[in-house]
Amino acid sequence: MKKSWWQRTIISCAVMLMTTFAGLFVNKQVAHAEQTYTIGVVDTFAPFEIQNKQGTYTGKNPGIEPEMIRMIAKHEHFKYRYKIMSFNAILQAMQSGQIDAGMGGMSVTDERKATIDFSTSYYKDGIVMAVGKNSKITKMSQLKGKTVDVKSGAAGALYAESIKDKYGFKIKYFTTSNAMWNDVKSGNGAATFDDGPVLQYGIRNGMPLKIVTKQINATPIAIGFKKGQNKELQAKINDGIKWMQKTGRMQKLIDKYTKGSGTKTESSKDRTIFGLIKNNRKALLTGLWETIELTIIGSLCALAFGLVLGVMGIAEGKFWKGLSSTIIYIFRGIPMMVLAFFIYIGLPNLTGQKIPLFTAGILTLMLDEGAYVGAIVRGGFEAVDVGQWEAARSLGLPYSKALVKVIAPQGLKIMVPSLVNQLIITLKDTSILSAIGVMELTQTGTVIIARNMEGFKMWLIIAVMYMIIITLLTWLSNYVQKRMEA
Amino acid sequence: MDKQYKVQVKDLHKSYGENEVLKGIDLAVKPSEVVCMIGPSGSGKSTFLRCLNRLEVPNSGHIYIDGYDIADSKTDINLVRQNIGMVFQHFNLFPNMSVIDNITLAPVELKKMSKEEAQEAALHYLDIVGLKEKANVNPRTLSGGQKQRVAIARALAMKPDVMLFDEPTSALDPEMVGDVLGVMQDLAKEGMTMIVVTHEMGFAKRVADRVVFFHDGKIREDGTPEQIFDHPQHPDTQNFLNKVLNV
Repeated sequence: MKKSWWQRTIISCAVMLMTTFAGLFVNKQVAHAEQTYTIGVVDTFAPFEIQNKQGTYTGKNPGIEPEMIRMIAKHEHFKYRYKIMSFNAILQAMQSGQIDAGMGGMSVTDERKATIDFSTSYYKDGIVMAVGKNSKITKMSQLKGKTVDVKSGAAGALYAESIKDKYGFKIKYFTTSNAMWNDVKSGNGAATFDDGPVLQYGIRNGMPLKIVTKQINATPIAIGFKKGQNKELQAKINDGIKWMQKTGRMQKLIDKYTKGSGTKTESSKDRTIFGLIKNNRKALLTGLWETIELTIIGSLCALAFGLVLGVMGIAEGKFWKGLSSTIIYIFRGIPMMVLAFFIYIGLPNLTGQKIPLFTAGILTLMLDEGAYVGAIVRGGFEAVDVGQWEAARSLGLPYSKALVKVIAPQGLKIMVPSLVNQLIITLKDTSILSAIGVMELTQTGTVIIARNMEGFKMWLIIAVMYMIIITLLTWLSNYVQKRMEA
Repeated sequence: MDKQYKVQVKDLHKSYGENEVLKGIDLAVKPSEVVCMIGPSGSGKSTFLRCLNRLEVPNSGHIYIDGYDIADSKTDINLVRQNIGMVFQHFNLFPNMSVIDNITLAPVELKKMSKEEAQEAALHYLDIVGLKEKANVNPRTLSGGQKQRVAIARALAMKPDVMLFDEPTSALDPEMVGDVLGVMQDLAKEGMTMIVVTHEMGFAKRVADRVVFFHDGKIREDGTPEQIFDHPQHPDTQNFLNKVLNV
């Protein structure tokens, strides 16, 4: 017998789901087979980290730390792989063992020493206070009652917290330097405390701020490791740093990024919208493709999960109904970002197994969107007239056959508009995965902006890209719905 | 159970919470007998009919059909239901398939008939109900009377031993009622065992071998149409017939 369209849909969902889990398993195997170190590295944090247009740390000017690691790895003969994430995520991932080492212009503090082992420091970095180009503020004493912007977890934040009561200002936290600087630029934040070299780099690249203090509290910068683990890698890196310092390579490297303008990013003629698109075309398309991939695979997994939840939700037994409602309740009740952090950073703590970033993203989408799909599927099935059940069962059809042949086709038809709506929501929700560092479209934007400081224009470009995709998706769904009704 | 009966019901009770709807029903139906059940709304006749194929689960008592006890939860109800045709007030045709697919679904799925065989049989039953030319249309395009006749053909296609009708003409426009009752009358002539919940007193008089009067969850009176309609014994029966016959 020929299978109808929705039977094929269910089968393909199941296959996709199995493939994903198989992929998870295979990834694990690979990770175990190779003795490659996984190093967590922040998104662009110039001059320490400078991502290229593809969002990676390859190429000529990847920043002080990636270039240093590149030299040390060659000298000490080890392999490594980068995992790009936010600074906060690095601190957590290091503790959960997701990464072997973490870097991002990390200050060595007593607080951090409790949970993190540090390499030999290779550089000293101080905090500076910066204000808008036209601001009249020049001293900390002028900050009373005002808001100061800091990057959560960074040295600037620690410093601001320590003097907050003395000067009577309020603190606002950000995750990227760029968003923070723009907040100061627009006058929302009166000032910011940030790493000196980082701010200098930003100003050199067009950010209209000015530094009003000298470097304060110069603290040593080093690479971090999970406390008590990875002694081997720590020894290799310490050895490498010593070698670079002795041979003068370290000073040369630091000078390259902190003096002169050799590492300045894009020239001003490229800063029109079209110039920005042209310059970042490849990165934007890669990010877009990642978003589309996440949406498609995530939606299929969510659909499969949701169908299971929906079928359980209308089952005859109280147990299955209760289980379905409970699962839906749990995953609808957890904000997606929290769920993503829990899966990517929390779970490995519990199980000791690393989860590949993409898999963590798909799992998040599957559970979160799947809960909504489950509610939609249950509602769709319940919306089918109870007389249909009675007629099918009266003919002698068992529950499962009545469901598959009679109820489901009618229920799915009822669900289509809601499912399409959920698909569009899923597409937009993929942007939340940028929080754990998935290089989808939003994260791509964050990375590009951290490099070129063109917040307004880049976000405009990215917003339009999302809108184009969603418009296409809406057209497609209208077409499918019309075809189904015909 | 007694072999001479097709359907035998013993002391059947059914409650919804505190509300007892069936208060001990006993009924025996012989092969080829046509039994019409009449009575006021809420008297329990529809609930009783739905108990016969376990759309409602009785609280106690026994229902024997073809040697199976329907009321026993260990009975494979899916198997027994194949031999009990059910026709509903609101037809309940499957709108996701054509008329002929409505009819062939169960024979193909359950009797392992080939699609061709089932379709041939379906056309035969559609012919019986006078709708052969509607085989390939969607049920939505049919009138109420046509829908109900397709529903009867769908039930017949499983070659049931017993047919249950739950107010089969109550949702129809008056001019459609005759067609459906005609089909049912033909079925009765062919020797089908039928249990019919109905408000069509004319049909009960003409076609039924027996008329059963339900009142307040009990069978008040049980007899031939002449006995019930012409010489009702119980005051409840007289009262009810006065109301429905002298409008």
